[in-house]
Amino acid sequence: MNAIAFTGVTKKYGDVVAVDGLTLDIPIGSTVALLGPNGAGKSTSINMLLGLLRPTSGDIKVFGNGPDQAVTRGDIGAMLQEGSLIPELTVRESVDFIRRLYPDPLPLDEVLRMADLTDLAGRRADKLSGGQTQRVRFALAIAGGPKLLLLDEPTAAMDVESRRSFWDNMRAYAAQGRTIVFATHYLEEADENSDRVVVIARGQVVADGTAAEIKSGVAGHAVSFRLGSQSAAGLDALSGVSAVEIQADRVTLRTGDPDATVEALYRKTTLDVRDLQIHGADLEDAFLALTKES
Amino acid sequence: MPHYLKIELLRMFRNKRYVIFVVVFPVVFYLLYSNLWGSEVDQATGVKASVILMVSMAAYGALAASIMSSAVPWAQERQSGWLRQLQITPLPGWAIITTKLIASMVLVLPSLLLVGLAAVLTQHVSLPVGEWFGLIGALWIGVIPFVALGLTIGSLLPPDTAQPVAMIGMFGLALLGGLWFPVDIMPSAMKSIAHVLPSYDYASIGWNIVAGDAPETSAVLGIAGWAVALGALAVLAYRRATVRA
Repeated sequence: MNAIAFTGVTKKYGDVVAVDGLTLDIPIGSTVALLGPNGAGKSTSINMLLGLLRPTSGDIKVFGNGPDQAVTRGDIGAMLQEGSLIPELTVRESVDFIRRLYPDPLPLDEVLRMADLTDLAGRRADKLSGGQTQRVRFALAIAGGPKLLLLDEPTAAMDVESRRSFWDNMRAYAAQGRTIVFATHYLEEADENSDRVVVIARGQVVADGTAAEIKSGVAGHAVSFRLGSQSAAGLDALSGVSAVEIQADRVTLRTGDPDATVEALYRKTTLDVRDLQIHGADLEDAFLALTKES
Repeated sequence: MPHYLKIELLRMFRNKRYVIFVVVFPVVFYLLYSNLWGSEVDQATGVKASVILMVSMAAYGALAASIMSSAVPWAQERQSGWLRQLQITPLPGWAIITTKLIASMVLVLPSLLLVGLAAVLTQHVSLPVGEWFGLIGALWIGVIPFVALGLTIGSLLPPDTAQPVAMIGMFGLALLGGLWFPVDIMPSAMKSIAHVLPSYDYASIGWNIVAGDAPETSAVLGIAGWAVALGALAVLAYRRATVRA
């Protein structure tokens, strides 16, 4: 069974289409990144999964039920984009309160440990730093031991160090067989922390696969060398080349097959090739290519 | 839900604004006023001012507690995202507003009891046991319209606006309802305003009880009417605040 099933989901705000016929299945136990630029429809999709927003049309199922039912059953935990805590309550009090609202919560000490909050348990929320507050919000999201964890740009307010430990904690939670969906516009985050990347732009899925698959789907490789004063004529006809870019005395050949391009460069031209570099596609190139306004 | 109630009470007892306005103010003003005028006697009823002031200050404290503990915290929770945090848990929507109502009513009790205690200890006020129970019971149940008003404000306004509106509402109801100055000494225009306010009906039930009289039917109906009207408004405002678009 799928943890999440979107079928032809559209969400409009007046004339603005935030989510446009989204169809997406996410199997139980997977960790999926929703990658997309701001305004792509990631948050809208997450809010619809939680029943906070209603789709204009289409159908959403969470573990086979409607979102409201899934929330009522305690199947979902979420860390939404913004949200502060009750200032007068301590970390332990807030986490324990939310925890007890769920039918089958994790033990309090385990939640605190998984969110690196054991040492801060007695501190009041109004005495926490931004990064610490984010950790508490993560703790609130996992406190009920939800089968599905939704994270909407969870690391937005964190420094590099907190980010790393945050993802470690998330992976530990995922390792318990839970399904995790996180939205991000950080490419490395999607690459490093998910086993599947769904690229969303303009409310639609534009690519779906592992990070490696998405990279290879774009002609994102590049071969570049110092051209000097030599002519670039004929380079665009070489095997695999899709585009030729010249910047100062350097030429860059965009190619889907760098091996063939390099071979052709030496065998079929008489150019004096200096300072050759071959770049693999990174997810950033893939992402930009996929999400570019058509 | 009991744990939710516990959490709500805990946080308010740690809230300085609540403790100062609601717990300290009424007691301090009672001590001040009763030292100045406590021994005077009301000509019409023969009740000592120390007793009337006890009712007025307890009523003021309860009014302040009910509005202060509902309007602004609720507006803040809506804006800060805490409400959404609750909405994505299994806690049902009705439980949120019901708990808020119950918590506010519990938070009214310190004012009622402490003003009463101050009256007994400093002015040696003594009432028949039945009157004590009647007074505290009536002043306790009678705060329902004010809690409803506070929740309505909190549902409709953002915290920046809810704060002054709640303050004005609270002091306006207290002043015009005759909790700070007797309605009898007000100009006639103000007097006629006072008579339609729930705060006047509310306090007058208390004044009647300590005079040994039964509360006037008009006051009881007045409070009940306000409770129904403001309660309905609070429910509508809550629905509007939690609507899922």
